[in-house]
Amino acid sequence: MLHHLFGYEAKRKRSLRKAPDGALKEFLSVPFPAVQERVDNIPILAVDFETTGLSPVKDQILSIGYIGIENNEIRLASACHKVIQTRGKLAEENVVIHQITDDAKFQGESLQDAVEDLLQALAGKVMLVHYARIEKSFLEKACLQLYGMTPVFPIIDTLMIAKRRLDKRSVAYDPSELRLFTLRDRYALPRYNAHNALSDALATAELFFAEVAKMSGRSSPALKSVLL
Amino acid sequence: MEIELKEIRDFLASIPPFDRLPMPLVEKLTHETSIRYIRRGLPLPPVDVTQDRLYLIRKGALSLQSTQGKLLGKLSEGDICTVFCMSGNHDKFIVDVEEDTLVYTIPCEILYEIVHDHPTVADFIRKTASQRLKDAVNTMMNEAALTSPLMHTSTQELMHSPVVSVAAGSSIYDAARSMADNGISSLMITDNDKPVGIVTNSDILQRCVAARLSTDSPIDDIMTKKMLSVTSDSSAYDTLMIMTRKHIHHLPVIDDGRLSGIITVTDLIRQEGRNSAYLTSAIRKADSIGALIEYSATIPQLQLQLVKMGGTSEHVGKGITAVATAITCRLIELAEAELGPAPLPYAWVAAGSQARREQTSHSDQDNGLIISNELSDKERPWFEALARYVCDGLDACGYVYCPGHIMATNPKWRQTESVWRNYFNTWINQPEPEALMHSSIFFDLRTIHGDKSLLERIRKEMLQQTRKSTLFLAHLTTNAMKLRPPLGFFRDFVLIHDGEHNDTLDLKHNGIAPIVDLARIYALTEGISEVNTAKRLKQAAGSASLSKEGSANLLDALIFIGTLRTQHQAKQITNGLDIDNFMSPVEISRLEREHLKDAFKVIQTMQATLERRR
Repeated sequence: MLHHLFGYEAKRKRSLRKAPDGALKEFLSVPFPAVQERVDNIPILAVDFETTGLSPVKDQILSIGYIGIENNEIRLASACHKVIQTRGKLAEENVVIHQITDDAKFQGESLQDAVEDLLQALAGKVMLVHYARIEKSFLEKACLQLYGMTPVFPIIDTLMIAKRRLDKRSVAYDPSELRLFTLRDRYALPRYNAHNALSDALATAELFFAEVAKMSGRSSPALKSVLL
Repeated sequence: MEIELKEIRDFLASIPPFDRLPMPLVEKLTHETSIRYIRRGLPLPPVDVTQDRLYLIRKGALSLQSTQGKLLGKLSEGDICTVFCMSGNHDKFIVDVEEDTLVYTIPCEILYEIVHDHPTVADFIRKTASQRLKDAVNTMMNEAALTSPLMHTSTQELMHSPVVSVAAGSSIYDAARSMADNGISSLMITDNDKPVGIVTNSDILQRCVAARLSTDSPIDDIMTKKMLSVTSDSSAYDTLMIMTRKHIHHLPVIDDGRLSGIITVTDLIRQEGRNSAYLTSAIRKADSIGALIEYSATIPQLQLQLVKMGGTSEHVGKGITAVATAITCRLIELAEAELGPAPLPYAWVAAGSQARREQTSHSDQDNGLIISNELSDKERPWFEALARYVCDGLDACGYVYCPGHIMATNPKWRQTESVWRNYFNTWINQPEPEALMHSSIFFDLRTIHGDKSLLERIRKEMLQQTRKSTLFLAHLTTNAMKLRPPLGFFRDFVLIHDGEHNDTLDLKHNGIAPIVDLARIYALTEGISEVNTAKRLKQAAGSASLSKEGSANLLDALIFIGTLRTQHQAKQITNGLDIDNFMSPVEISRLEREHLKDAFKVIQTMQATLERRR
């Protein structure tokens, strides 16, 4: 595992040499936090995407929400929410779930602008998500599309942290127990009614705090023990 | 602010004092908020936070302790923690995080900047419990005034006219003479019928006597020339507001440059008591117990009306007690009509809340008879019959028999002046804590009917003794400490001082009674004959036993808790329920909870001060 982790920095430097000038290069030019750092000392950006579906090939990003964690606190001032202009009409179920209507979508910004802002906010930070597959694959696909390459993102996944915890027990569990809002209930976190990228990012950040509190002894765990 | 953070914004906006901020400012606050997760057992403020910050509990629970480990309060969802807004406080409190806690936190410096134009919000956070309570009471009074019948009365209806005046150029002596002759406290000065100035008692005292000015000097030298005035068609309410704001007690009423009348604060205040005055005068004319029962049935409605008129607990207590007193007097008159005239001088005395003028609609009865020392077996049956008649009548009117038998029907409390003197002697000079607890009610006595001098003589002697009797006062203090206010609220429970929880708040025993007990001790220590709690506190202010500040704080606490009680009871009356003193925390708003906590704190402080002195 350690080898794999050293790989993050090495891969970043390698990608940096190949990256075209612009947002991606700037993102890659900031070193990632050291893996032996305690998680309460590292800058984190909680991120959530709302997408039209689960396939990064067929589906598109509808909106991006993120919020920063610094010095062990979530700074609401760093919160950001962006609606992306997508092609084609929105399926009704997306409108219902994400509360993004076609009207709002047309007022949104281009995928490039949104991704560049995200990369800027993410520089030097660890990305925090719930169920990394979506954000990781959609972001990689967007980078491939925009810059012709997929960079490396150190990621913490609150779902994986919860899963590892549940797997350790000999009792079987229902996969639905791993859902963001089910886990939040478990940790007695407040219920947020909104369901969109930013409030999910915030919900994930709070869940991460609760998970770290449960797993750690006197000091918080090292980054390497929670990295995906 | 991102609209997605609306839930956090709405949460902030629901918590006093932010509930009084306009939304755009709450959004600014939200933007500056950070979220922290404090693990059970870890410190608050977190070790890495050194700046002054406000904390709002979003989820979880923590307890606040003194450095000696004494529980000061508990905080949970929706509670605001202001103690770390002052850097001096950081090492004065220990916070025990009892459950994993999610807090919203804002640096105070930024917070004060955002609420700069809303000083009451910053005050709420910065001020002490007693200062905050004072603000709350002032607001309550102002709101009370808004619903006052004074709004619908013109100044003309209440002013005095014609006005006593002297001509400009008259001597100070002549002016003072005119005021004394007419029994008035202010005088208008006119020049050819045009008002040119006003003098009051205090002007003569301060600007003439205290300044060694000759009384032969013209009145013009000391009169107030720049007079405020009102017109006779202005509402009595506006007039009262001008007088309250400018701290003046007399105001000329001037129409088209002509003096129409003069109005005083007393005229305005008297107006508010009219409704109970009407009922008492009807009671005085009632010709049967049946009629009295009918009138007494309207007492809850009177209480409701007094509250609706914006009356504080003090107004309500006075109004309701006046009715109880009128009923008692009328019963005695009816009894005397039936039994024949009293064979000897006597006094019918009320004890407890009736004596203190602090009743609510239906308090139970507490009374006794003090009879002339000439009493012999021959006259005893008359007084027994009187006691029976009146106490039965009171019971029929809803003032139920006293469960502790503190009634004139009990031979123990139907005694001669000298027996009563002996009672007081024993209570004061051989005090026993248990006995004293039951007799403390007798240190609040008032003559309702009959020869006042009987009680006054007893009281005079009693007060001479209480001042010196340290053992008696010590026992009284010990007893008073048995009723302690709660620490505050924890979730929807009342947090009792030992850390236990209660489902309901007993406004009487947890709030009002401790203040009544304190006021009694101050009065008995200082030899004050007054029995009304508010008056006792005012008269004891600045004495060795009670500082002016302590007195003002207790008065605020009394009026706040008392008024919450009368409002709670008004709601019960409206809903056709029997009234009581129990409020569920669920019925108490967040803001009221904060103010109640402040009031409890004031009482605790004064109890602790008294305990230290003993």
